[in-house]
Amino acid sequence: MKILTLVRQVPDAEARVKISGGQVDLEGATLVMDGMDEYGVEEALRLREGGAAVEEIVALATGPKRVEDALRTALAMGVDRAIHVETDQALDPIALSRVVAQVAQAEGVSLILVGGQEADWDSQALGAATAERLGWPQLTWTNELALEGDTLTGRHDVDDGNESFRVPLPAVVTTQQGLNEPRYPTLPNIMKAKKKELRKDTLDAYGAAPTVRVVGSDIQTRARLNKMIDGKDPQAAAAELLDLLRNEAKVIA
Amino acid sequence: MNFTLPEDLREMQAAVRGFMLEVVEARAREIEDTNRVPPELLRGAAELGLFGLSIPEEYGGVGLGALGRCAVYEALGQGHMGFGGVISAHASIGTSGLVRLGTEEQKRRFLPRMASGECIAGFAITEPSSGSDAANIRTRAERRGDVYVLNGTKHYISNAPVAGLLTVIAVTDPARGTRGMSAFLVEPGRTPGVTIGKIDEKMGQKGSLSAEVIFEDAEVPAANLLGPEHLGYREALGILTNGRVGIAARATGAMQRLLDLSVAHAKTREQFGQPIAEFQAVQFMLAEMEVAIQTSRLLWQKVAWMVDEGQDVRRMASVAKLYATEMLSQVADKAVQVAGGMGYMKDSPVERYYRDQRLLRIYEGTSEIQKLIIARDLLA
Repeated sequence: MKILTLVRQVPDAEARVKISGGQVDLEGATLVMDGMDEYGVEEALRLREGGAAVEEIVALATGPKRVEDALRTALAMGVDRAIHVETDQALDPIALSRVVAQVAQAEGVSLILVGGQEADWDSQALGAATAERLGWPQLTWTNELALEGDTLTGRHDVDDGNESFRVPLPAVVTTQQGLNEPRYPTLPNIMKAKKKELRKDTLDAYGAAPTVRVVGSDIQTRARLNKMIDGKDPQAAAAELLDLLRNEAKVIA
Repeated sequence: MNFTLPEDLREMQAAVRGFMLEVVEARAREIEDTNRVPPELLRGAAELGLFGLSIPEEYGGVGLGALGRCAVYEALGQGHMGFGGVISAHASIGTSGLVRLGTEEQKRRFLPRMASGECIAGFAITEPSSGSDAANIRTRAERRGDVYVLNGTKHYISNAPVAGLLTVIAVTDPARGTRGMSAFLVEPGRTPGVTIGKIDEKMGQKGSLSAEVIFEDAEVPAANLLGPEHLGYREALGILTNGRVGIAARATGAMQRLLDLSVAHAKTREQFGQPIAEFQAVQFMLAEMEVAIQTSRLLWQKVAWMVDEGQDVRRMASVAKLYATEMLSQVADKAVQVAGGMGYMKDSPVERYYRDQRLLRIYEGTSEIQKLIIARDLLA
């Protein structure tokens, strides 16, 4: 069986982004593989290392040329080959799912791993939309996966707690923090990744024109109250702090 | 002209930086308190490939050129300097002689085990009577049949207490002066007559262990002669020359870490009702640190590029090492000043860097020796 793992390139969590011309300007920001997708890449590798009959692990990314770097990271972690659908157009999750579904079919994969929530759109739609297009079951917010033959078992979060599941492949799985601890690519594997296949593809083949257009962007700023408590009398200060936490911030009962 | 590091090298830097800041830093206090690097950390470094940095791929290493090695050294410098010292003494001066001068048989025998971290390497040239005056080496190696018999004492030898292999410089023909020295591959644990003395108590760079190495009629197989007999002092020092670029890169990484810590502290530490970053006195220190980092980085990158181009870097390697390590001392001093009292406390990495960095102006050629090399080359 083959596994397809989707990789997105997003600003590093500590990167400072700017807005210019109503758009997010990533010039100068450190870009990395989306942490959510790292869990997917890691899990694909672990399923294979755990003895499952995984014939090939393929990483897929869409976006401008720079996205290659994120794919090289996936290759250095251990993915076998990569496909880069190169485009300067930003794809909304529904448009992107069209690409993912078609690549999955063309490559004959039976398991798709995508991050549960994308750091660039913050939507949770990609996994669901891809599953819908393919008519495959989807398992969201997984925290444990195991593969035996063509049966995937695992656990995932639901509103009221945690469920165990069993599903015959093919399936779409969304990943999240806690599923695993992604490995660092080792230096020899970074060297080897340079020799692995990174196939370029164009967007036109997929008919995946985005329907959502971003017309403006703003940086969210949070105004702080900067409330200071006089600490001269520790008991009074503690009482005041408790009062504020209880009645104003409403974070304790 | 292109000042962008290739993508694979940036990726390697990110991997090494991540390992140093997340995995090693979490155990930093333990390394400080025990003066030992936990074995799990050495295994982690081995898995990452750090022990094989300068070893060709055919022998199980990463096979990086000078630019790649130095890029990794800069990332290494951003973490615990004692830990970085173990790696760099192994991958730089401990390995480069064998890679450059070794026979195929010698390389097959040692390099794969060195790349995997199973055999840690070191370089033994310094003696009690020959530090900067390296030509005054007394350790003798006399040929007797199939062996060389070594007698003498080396000291301050980095990695000696943990080394599986030492490249030892000894006199093979006293009559030939500096042209009568040779290099030997010595396996301390497996060579009767080689004793490792007690571990030196250093000011900093904890976990990077150094000690005396005493040779008493130690018989080293003639097959372990590295390079031609009497290869001479200059060739032996060639091993140190390339190592100097790496030191400049590590110093740059250390400065970057100190600046990052200083910026973070200045933005959050409030005095007189505002973050201290608002004060020009602090801003100026941060700006001076940045200038030191940018200039040092340009220097190591240029010299590493020259090495990869096959150019003679004797003068420029000294320029880079001298400049970057002197700047590092200034930057560390400023970082303590920005951090204030906290920068003087053991809980702060700034305090540790302040002690650790001092060695870089001394080992692998003091600042003064670097100046002599530069001036002699100018006047030659």
